[in-house]
Amino acid sequence: MSARGVFWIARANLRADRKGALLNATAACVGAAALVFILALGMGVSQAARRMFPADARLVEVIPAGVALGGVLGGGRLDDAAVARLGRLPGVEQAWPRLSLRVPVAASRPPTGLDYNWPPGMTLQIPVVGVAPGLVQADVRAGRAFADPGPGGGPIPVLLSRRLLEVYDKTIAPAWNVRRLPPGLSIVGLQLPVRVGFSIVPQKTEDRVYEARLELAGLSDRVPLYMLAMPLDTVRRLHREYGKPDAGYTQVTLLARRPDDVPAIMAAVRRMGFSVDEGERSAAERVGTVVAVTTGALALLAGVMCALAALAIAQSLSASVRGRTREIAVLEAVGAAPADVRAVVLAEAALVGLVGGAVGTALAVVAARIADAAAARALPDFPFRPDTFFALPPWLVVLGVAVPAAAAVLGALAPAAFAARIDPARTLS
Amino acid sequence: MIRLAGVTKAFRDGDRPVPVLRGIDLEVRPGELVAIVGPSGSGKSTLLYVAGALDRDFAGEVEVAGTRLAGLSPRARAELRNRAVGFVFQSFNLLAGMSALENVMLPGMLRRDGAEGTAAVRARAAEALAAVGLADKARATPAHLSGGERQRVAIARALLARPQVLLADEPTGNLDAVSGEGIIQLFQRMAAGGMTVLVVTHEERVSEAASRVLHLEEGRLR
Repeated sequence: MSARGVFWIARANLRADRKGALLNATAACVGAAALVFILALGMGVSQAARRMFPADARLVEVIPAGVALGGVLGGGRLDDAAVARLGRLPGVEQAWPRLSLRVPVAASRPPTGLDYNWPPGMTLQIPVVGVAPGLVQADVRAGRAFADPGPGGGPIPVLLSRRLLEVYDKTIAPAWNVRRLPPGLSIVGLQLPVRVGFSIVPQKTEDRVYEARLELAGLSDRVPLYMLAMPLDTVRRLHREYGKPDAGYTQVTLLARRPDDVPAIMAAVRRMGFSVDEGERSAAERVGTVVAVTTGALALLAGVMCALAALAIAQSLSASVRGRTREIAVLEAVGAAPADVRAVVLAEAALVGLVGGAVGTALAVVAARIADAAAARALPDFPFRPDTFFALPPWLVVLGVAVPAAAAVLGALAPAAFAARIDPARTLS
Repeated sequence: MIRLAGVTKAFRDGDRPVPVLRGIDLEVRPGELVAIVGPSGSGKSTLLYVAGALDRDFAGEVEVAGTRLAGLSPRARAELRNRAVGFVFQSFNLLAGMSALENVMLPGMLRRDGAEGTAAVRARAAEALAAVGLADKARATPAHLSGGERQRVAIARALLARPQVLLADEPTGNLDAVSGEGIIQLFQRMAAGGMTVLVVTHEERVSEAASRVLHLEEGRLR
C-alpha cells in the first residue's frame, strides 16, 4: 500500500474513534508541552547565566602563589621568563600578561560629547589594568588602535567590560540618579577626561598630577568587571614615569588550544608554583552546573511524561486494535498485507503524536511568551535581566513535535505487531 | 477463473485434526455463477476463503485469476485479493467509522502502486455506488443504511477494482426477500458480464439463480 493509502486509512480510523484519538493526542500534547517549555527555559536561563558569567572555557588565569615557594620550583614572580615558560606548557596556545596600574587615575568630569548629568563634585577613582593587546585584539573596534600613544601623545585607548555597562545601567545609574549610557558599541570612541596621579584617598595622590584623556576603543568580556584595560606598555610607561618599578606581572592569562586541555594546564601551573584564579570560572561553572542539573532533572521529568504518554497510547491503541480485529480482517480481505496493517496502526500513532506534539509545542511557546510578559511586569530591572527567559531554537520546535511522535510510534509497535498477526480467514469465519 | 485441485484443510481441536475440506476439485469459469450449498459447518466459508487467497493454511493446488497461490508471499496474496478478487460477506463487513463512499474507496486506496490519485479513486467509488443505486447515500455511515443498502455498498466495494472473481458468503442471509432478490439479480448481471462468481449459500432463491449448484457435505463436493 502506498503511504498515501496508509495515512488515508489511518485518518479515517482516527476519525471513527475521535474520543480515543483526542485522549491520546492530549497525552502527547502534555508531554510535548512539558518537554519544550522546560528545555526552552533551561536554555534561556543558561544563556542569561552565560551573559552574566561569560567565562571562556579555554582561558586559565595564573596568579602568583599566596605562599611563594616558587623560587625553588621555578615559580614565584610572574616575570617575562615565567610568562615564556607558561606559554610553552603543553596545550597552551598563548600567554598574555596583565599588570595592574599602581598610579591612581581619577575622573571628575563626564565623557566629552555625551549629554550626561555628572553629579556635581563627584570624583571617580578608576582602577586600571594593563593587558597585552593580543588578549583583547578581537574586541577592539575596527579602525581603532590599542597601543600606547606615548608621553604627550593622544588619548590613551581603553577597553571596558561589557558587563560593567549592564551593571551601571541597571544599578549604578538609578542609585546615583544619573543618566544611563547609550547602548553597547555606540559609546565606543567617547573620551573621558582624567587626572593621572590623582587619588581620592588621602595621602595617595602622587606628587605629579596631569590631565589626560581615555578613549574607549571597544568592549570586552576579557576585561575585569570593575576595571578599565589599557595597553600593557602604557601601564609600564606610567610606572616608569612615577618611579614604580615592576616586580612582575599581576596575572597571566593562558589560552588553551582546547577546553579539554584546561585541567592539565591548571595542574602544570600549580606544579610550577603558581596559583590559578578560579573565581570567575568556578562561579560560571557553579551556575552552569546548577542550571544544567535543574534543566536535566526537569527534562527527565518531561521525558518520563512523554514515556507515560507513549504507554497511554500503547494501551489505548492495544485496546482499539483488539476491538477492531474484524475491521482489520476486512482490510486484509480487500487487499491489505500484514505489513500494511502494521503500517496503518503505526501511522495512526504517528498522526496522534504529531498533532499532539505540534499542539503541545505551540502551547509551550505561548506559555513561554506569557511567562516572559509576567516576568517583565513582576520583576525589577536587574542587571543582565534577559528580554526572554526562554530559548526556542528551531530544532527545539522540531524536537517538540518529533519526540511525542516517536514515543507514540514506539508505544504502537506492540499493538501494530498484534494487528499484523490477525488471521483474516479465522476472524471473518 | 477459479481452479481448485485436491484441496484439503483441517482445523485442530487440541492435538486432534478435524478435517474440513477433503480433496476438493472445483473449476469455475468466467461468466459462470456457481452456488455452493450445504449445511452449516460443512466448510462452505472455508472453501471460499481458500479460493479467495485469504486462507493460506491448506494443502492442494489453487489457481485464481490465472495466479497459482502456492508459494505466494503475504504481500503478493494481498495484491491478488486487491486486484482480482472481490469479497461480499453475509454481515456486510463495512467499516463503521467510514461513510459508504469511503468504504467503497478502500480497495482503491490500498493499491500498492498508488498511481491513481485520491480524487480519481473517489470518483470511481462514486460511480460504483451509483451503479448499485446508492449515489444519494455516499455520505451515510453504515449505521444509517438498511441491510439491503449495506450489502449493495459491500458489492460496490467488491467491484471497485473490477475484479475477475467475485466471492460471496451468504450474501442474502441478512436481507429481506426484496433486497435479496435485487442482490441476486446483480450477481447474475456480473456473471453475464464475464465475471467468475462463486456464492456459498443455504438459500434456495440463490441456488435457483445459479448456473451451477454444488453440494458440500462432510468436506466433499457433490
